[in-house]
Amino acid sequence: MRHDRVEIAMIFCAALAFGVAQSGAQQQRSDRDEGAQRFMEFCASCHGADGKGGDKAPALVSPSSALPLSDSELFRIVRDGTRGGMPPFAQIGDANIHGVVQYLRLLQGEAAPASASTDVEVTGDADAGRTLFFGKAQCSVCHSMRGEGGFIARGLTFYGRYRTPDAVRRSITNPDTPLVPSSRMVSVTTRAGQKLTGVLRNEDNFTLELQTEDGRYHSLERSNLIEVHYTDRSLMPRDFAQRLTAKELDDIVSFLIVSSRNPRTNVDQDH
Amino acid sequence: MQLGRVHLNLVAAGSLLLTICGYSASSQPKEVSRHPTAEPASSLSRNAPLGLIDIQPGDLLQKRVADNWTSYNGDYSGRRFSSLTQITPANVSRLTVQWVFHPRTVSPLEATPLVVAGILFVTSANDVYALDAKTGKILWRHLREVTRGLVDDAAMHHNRGVAILGTRIYMETDNAHLLCLDARSGGLIWEVPYATGNRNYGATSAPLIVKDKVVVGSSGGDDGVRGFIAAFDATTGEEKWRFWTIPGPSEKGNQSWPGDAYLHGGGTAWLPGTFDSDLDTLFWGTGNPAPDYDGSGRPGDDLYTSCLLALDPDTGKLKWYFQFSPHDLYDYDAVQTPVIVDAEFHGKPRKLIVTANRNGFLYILDRTDGKFLFAKQFARQLNWAKGIDSSGRPISAGLIPNENGIKICPANGGATNWYSPSYDPKTHLFYFRSYEACALFRSQPASFVEGNTYYATGAQVTGDSGKGYINAFNLDTLDFAWHDLQYGYNKGWGGVMSTATDLVAFGDDGENFVVADGRTGKPLWHFHVGQLIHASPMSYGIGGKQYFAVAAGSDLFSFALP
Repeated sequence: MRHDRVEIAMIFCAALAFGVAQSGAQQQRSDRDEGAQRFMEFCASCHGADGKGGDKAPALVSPSSALPLSDSELFRIVRDGTRGGMPPFAQIGDANIHGVVQYLRLLQGEAAPASASTDVEVTGDADAGRTLFFGKAQCSVCHSMRGEGGFIARGLTFYGRYRTPDAVRRSITNPDTPLVPSSRMVSVTTRAGQKLTGVLRNEDNFTLELQTEDGRYHSLERSNLIEVHYTDRSLMPRDFAQRLTAKELDDIVSFLIVSSRNPRTNVDQDH
Repeated sequence: MQLGRVHLNLVAAGSLLLTICGYSASSQPKEVSRHPTAEPASSLSRNAPLGLIDIQPGDLLQKRVADNWTSYNGDYSGRRFSSLTQITPANVSRLTVQWVFHPRTVSPLEATPLVVAGILFVTSANDVYALDAKTGKILWRHLREVTRGLVDDAAMHHNRGVAILGTRIYMETDNAHLLCLDARSGGLIWEVPYATGNRNYGATSAPLIVKDKVVVGSSGGDDGVRGFIAAFDATTGEEKWRFWTIPGPSEKGNQSWPGDAYLHGGGTAWLPGTFDSDLDTLFWGTGNPAPDYDGSGRPGDDLYTSCLLALDPDTGKLKWYFQFSPHDLYDYDAVQTPVIVDAEFHGKPRKLIVTANRNGFLYILDRTDGKFLFAKQFARQLNWAKGIDSSGRPISAGLIPNENGIKICPANGGATNWYSPSYDPKTHLFYFRSYEACALFRSQPASFVEGNTYYATGAQVTGDSGKGYINAFNLDTLDFAWHDLQYGYNKGWGGVMSTATDLVAFGDDGENFVVADGRTGKPLWHFHVGQLIHASPMSYGIGGKQYFAVAAGSDLFSFALP
């Protein structure tokens, strides 16, 4: 698993650059961002910003939880609450309820409950996709597949399991729609003049924890920082639609979906 | 070429980018080797920057436990002794809580967290968290739902923590899968189901790294499984060896296990062991035989249940064994930590194992060959044995559980249990928690049924609820230095640790975390955590600041000086 430092550095630079230079989002992205905002506002404090649950409420993104429910069942649950203690959210309005349900689907992976990836037809060449994943497309610099590859971005072993080919392709060509909070890039300058760029893993009023590309975590006192610059992006390059041909994209998508079908494990997701 | 394309996009985005990228490039951390270097292990640990995780085998061999706590008991000796000296008897009264972490949880937590380079790793059921050890905030989490359909202890989804080697974390899930995760991200690298063939297997322990292997045991010893200790290649997950604690047909010791009784003999190894790298020996305790209270189907000594095993870490071959409770009928596991102690015994320096056993006796063995050296009864009430003979074998009182019930002391929970002991090499004091209780043991023959426990009826604690003690045994005098009676309504399940400034820390029976004077037992500071402490404390350091951390109920607490 060669971890190409120079390439990563360039990707970091590019990520930061695009974060600064990015102009207004596409309409689709802004709709999704709306749903994401509402989810953060109404759902995240109990169900977690990633939908993985917490001490107050269960996970919503695993097959044993909300994933098998239909959109309309989810809509009813959000609107009316549950006997198990979830309060009703009718007061946020139907549009917002639809928004959080759609965002939840994004967190879960966009698949209709009935279709597991075993039923999904792939049109690309998964073997060629594997070669691209670990080669020209450089996915493995940041992502791992079955434990092989990089660690700084999420593992992709199960990514294709409940997602349609279209959803997977979109996540490559149009990443950060929406931006998962714990993958946001940030750069800081300390009072001592040290500059750090990394992924913001956590923060509050007092401290900030970021992870640089070598995997190292930096625990920083906010009072010790003279500058904190938040980008609106993750590490993921946004130009894969230009970097890869349509066939190459299709092959990688097929590789991700096919790989997720026969995991050696029964874990629901990588993280 | 890919690089060229990225360059092009950068230039296109404007001159501001070059400035930013210039900054970014200059902030790139120095090249860090991912492979074991030729540097001596001690300097590697001292120079390792905060937040960078890469544990070398040499780090795990360190006998000085200081900033890092790299395994369940702190180091391979199992003595849970911290060499940090910032917190002393003089200043400990100023200890204050630094942070509290509340996982999505199955209470109570039983884990001992690890800390490496300021990153803390803790488990709660099948979830693993990496926290900033200074602030308690989550850096990553790896979550897995609990497994349904498990039996007994595993069905409570307890987990005692992780092991670490290199940039990888290892943990046992409740259904006995060994997971290998990337310590920097929580990403799953591989997963190996390692206890198959019997639904009653589970796992509740923390793995132990030994050289290039991950060593694990299982739970289910009261549920009719066949116990084992197994080792897996830390890189690939390939099984390297498995030692069955219940011998099969034609294996030595099989006489106790007629027919297929060996398949349900128990003897599970459900706590991490200890390791002596000079002797190249792994020490691991085994649980009681099954069915617990009915010994009629397992005549003889029931090897290797309720034993301490000395194994070759590379092959799993048995070097020697010592059995604490032959043909046990009282649920007297012997998984309690076999603490490695180098001390004088009867005037001669000796390599010892010191351990307080569930059966109510404290033992000292020679760890080079398993020779019995000494035993002392520490349980105030004890009637199952009349004493220990010169070979270390108990002189049985012949009390056999029957369907009417017979009173036995100690109770089935034992005079001590899995809560960690500690040894202070400066004061030569061996600390451990004990519990005084008797029980009415009933027995009724039972058949093994997958999905059911296999105790063969059970025991109920008699009379008054028991009394808990924290004890200090002096290896120089071979007698107790002090006993500290625990007051409170709860039965504490927290273990003990000690430090180089003669402090001893533990959870009491009143939901307090206590730090006491190790020489006298006098409490010097306590904090009411408000929940039962069912785990053992540890200590770590960041930038000169020493912390104590302990899991209490459904929360992990960290304390330090202001």
